[in-house]
Amino acid sequence: MTLERRNRRLYYYRSVRDGEKVRKVYVGSGEIARISHEGDILRRTGREAEKEQEKEELERLEALAAPVLELSEAAEILARAHLITAGYHRHKGEYRRARSA
Amino acid sequence: MPGALELSEETRERMAELRGLSEKAEAGDAEARKKLRRLVRATSPEIIGRASDIARRAEWVLIKTISAGEPLMEEALEARLALMREEIAGEDASPLEVLLTERVVSCWMLVEHFDVLMAAQLWTGNEKSVSPSYLKHMLRWQESATRRYLAAIKVLVQVRKLLRPSVQINYAEQQVNVAGDLKR
Repeated sequence: MTLERRNRRLYYYRSVRDGEKVRKVYVGSGEIARISHEGDILRRTGREAEKEQEKEELERLEALAAPVLELSEAAEILARAHLITAGYHRHKGEYRRARSA
Repeated sequence: MPGALELSEETRERMAELRGLSEKAEAGDAEARKKLRRLVRATSPEIIGRASDIARRAEWVLIKTISAGEPLMEEALEARLALMREEIAGEDASPLEVLLTERVVSCWMLVEHFDVLMAAQLWTGNEKSVSPSYLKHMLRWQESATRRYLAAIKVLVQVRKLLRPSVQINYAEQQVNVAGDLKR
């Protein structure tokens, strides 16, 4: 978004993506240009704050899930080792008695 | 219940060793199977102890988060988890089964938490809308937690079915195999 001043008058343009290209779209001049520009800045700041909040929330959830994932991994490894020790092997996700055991 | 929420480097090394030997033993390496047997005997109690510790702490953090400072909710969740542990592990659970039960319970809590969060996001009365990328992340985690929960149940069932000793009873000249209800 650009606020341009030409001949003591304000002109406001928004950048709009059109496929690969970015087009400059005229919004208005004078008071309309100023109000639109400030409105866009407020909206953008709000979006950025929301994005930051979402990022923090996702990080919090990740931290919450991490110990459960670690526990899962330990349990999985140990169960597998116990089953193999007892003479089983995995075949398509199921354990079968190994012939060599 | 403060404390570390991750396994020590030493425990992780033992786990990596167990994983490596399991892979070799499964591929038919007899020497690896022998080593694995020794390692399982030597390290199981330690890994089970440490992983169970993590489980309890993780559950505590989840309870605190879900209850959001409401003591009644906190107590209700604690009671629910205790009941689940009792029902799932049963009376004569081996240490490994107890650990697998902890895993089921922790995974259940995580799934519940994600379900509640997702339901809140998708509720039509929710005025605060979130971005599609946030929802996508949440959905992915919800799916992954559910998969892990189901896998946890499956492994517990497999261990219970395959590792519990069976007894042969000869009754009226008929041989009957009874599995699973012996004390170990």
